[in-house]
Amino acid sequence: MNAAAMPVYLDHAATTPVDPRVAARMAEVLNSESEFGNPASGHDYGDTAGALIEAARAQVAAAVGACANEVVWTSGATEANNLAIFGVAQYYRDSGRHIITTRIEHKSVLDPCRELERRGWRISYLPPDGGGLVNPDQVAAALHPDTVLVSMVQVNNEIGVVQDIAAIGALCAKHGGARLHVDAAQSVGKCAVDFAALGVDLLSLSAHKAYGPKGAGALVVSQRGGARARVQLMPLQFGGGQERGLRAGTLATHQAVGMGMAFALAAGQLQEEFARIGQLQQRLWQGLSAIGGVLRNGNAQHSVPHLLNVSFEGVEGESLLAAVRPHLAVSTGSACTSSLAEPSFVLRALGRSERLSESSLRFGLGRSSSERDIDTAIAVLAREVARLRRIAGA
Amino acid sequence: MKYNEQTRRYFETAARAGVLSGPSVYRGAAGNREHGTWVQFDVQTASGILKEARFLAFGCPHTIAVAAWVAEQVLGQPVIRRLPDSVQAISLQFAVPVEKLGRLLIIEDAWLAALDSAITEA
Repeated sequence: MNAAAMPVYLDHAATTPVDPRVAARMAEVLNSESEFGNPASGHDYGDTAGALIEAARAQVAAAVGACANEVVWTSGATEANNLAIFGVAQYYRDSGRHIITTRIEHKSVLDPCRELERRGWRISYLPPDGGGLVNPDQVAAALHPDTVLVSMVQVNNEIGVVQDIAAIGALCAKHGGARLHVDAAQSVGKCAVDFAALGVDLLSLSAHKAYGPKGAGALVVSQRGGARARVQLMPLQFGGGQERGLRAGTLATHQAVGMGMAFALAAGQLQEEFARIGQLQQRLWQGLSAIGGVLRNGNAQHSVPHLLNVSFEGVEGESLLAAVRPHLAVSTGSACTSSLAEPSFVLRALGRSERLSESSLRFGLGRSSSERDIDTAIAVLAREVARLRRIAGA
Repeated sequence: MKYNEQTRRYFETAARAGVLSGPSVYRGAAGNREHGTWVQFDVQTASGILKEARFLAFGCPHTIAVAAWVAEQVLGQPVIRRLPDSVQAISLQFAVPVEKLGRLLIIEDAWLAALDSAITEA
């Protein structure tokens, strides 16, 4: 299918197209006769690739308020989340075996937690309120002397709600033994991320959510000293000692370069894009709510504008998605779970019924989104929701 | 989920969606919206022949497509207590995945309920 015939893309929370400037720079690296070296090699080719890696590392660090030596490259946020959770759990297993997380985390946080549960760790899954917010008081109440990790998403990938990470960071600092891991896969380019100021110990990042390549990510590991010891991790893979021994394997120079450039661009455009996307989201919500029987999911006052999640009363979810599919690329929830014929566990955690959770759509707005796209989406939804309600006799 | 051409066509057109009123109109329904699938058929008979049929459906594209197909296929057929084809044959025709076969049984139940009503009251 050629691009002109493709449906309107409103699924930027699942992934974003690679920025053409990023793609061009990555292609330069791939095609270069001097930049293909193994960054760990002790010759000019290696040094050239290594310098590119370090420049990219500095770009990623700058975008999230971290120091370059805190950035550990990974294959994406899923690997970063796994490294953070299993790494902390294994390293501090003799200090405590209790972890706090929430019911609305990404599967790449929940599944490692469930695996640890099977291995004997205690996991507290905090419920959000009806708007998707977890109150820091809930975290305070859940902290125990043997708590070694609090893992929480900053920007929820289904509803866009932003948690109060700074408050939770302060609680963890006060506790002393509890490290704070934040899944920030959706954050870069959508909201300000200040690793140091938030008091975060571990931060997971993804390149492809911010117009970078798939297969690239990072775990930011705090090197701050101070009142409590630096966070330590047990590595998950061995064989080369790269990334300070935390993540063995030859680094992919073009991927790192792409992620670094994507993050630099995203950070530079943050304010301008935030305002523009905010206007588009407002336009979309006004248009959709005019259809009637449309409910917004997530606390609008504490959300990034890039995501809008709505439930449509009186229509069945699979039919709704099939009806809009020829015209709109949207999803029913996380792309990592949307192939499953199950209602969103995030929306269920917010208290939505099974039916309404199934008949929900997530609109992910991004750089390519235009007023025309939004108006197309509104027109398609108005027509198809009315048609399905008529067929259902609703 | 991918749908075959026939499912897409009947889902998109959904001809005969609606209700009937008037003399010799009989209704049957099955399923439950809260459980995800609900289907209703209205049939109009004359001299033992199905003259008109309409359906309403809350459900997945397969449910809507098959209900629309049933309402189309039965026109001009005698009032006999059965679907136009077996559930097995319909599932193949519409490429209904095995985990959804229960929804075809709901369509069958709704259809048979409409015919039962017609046979009983006629």
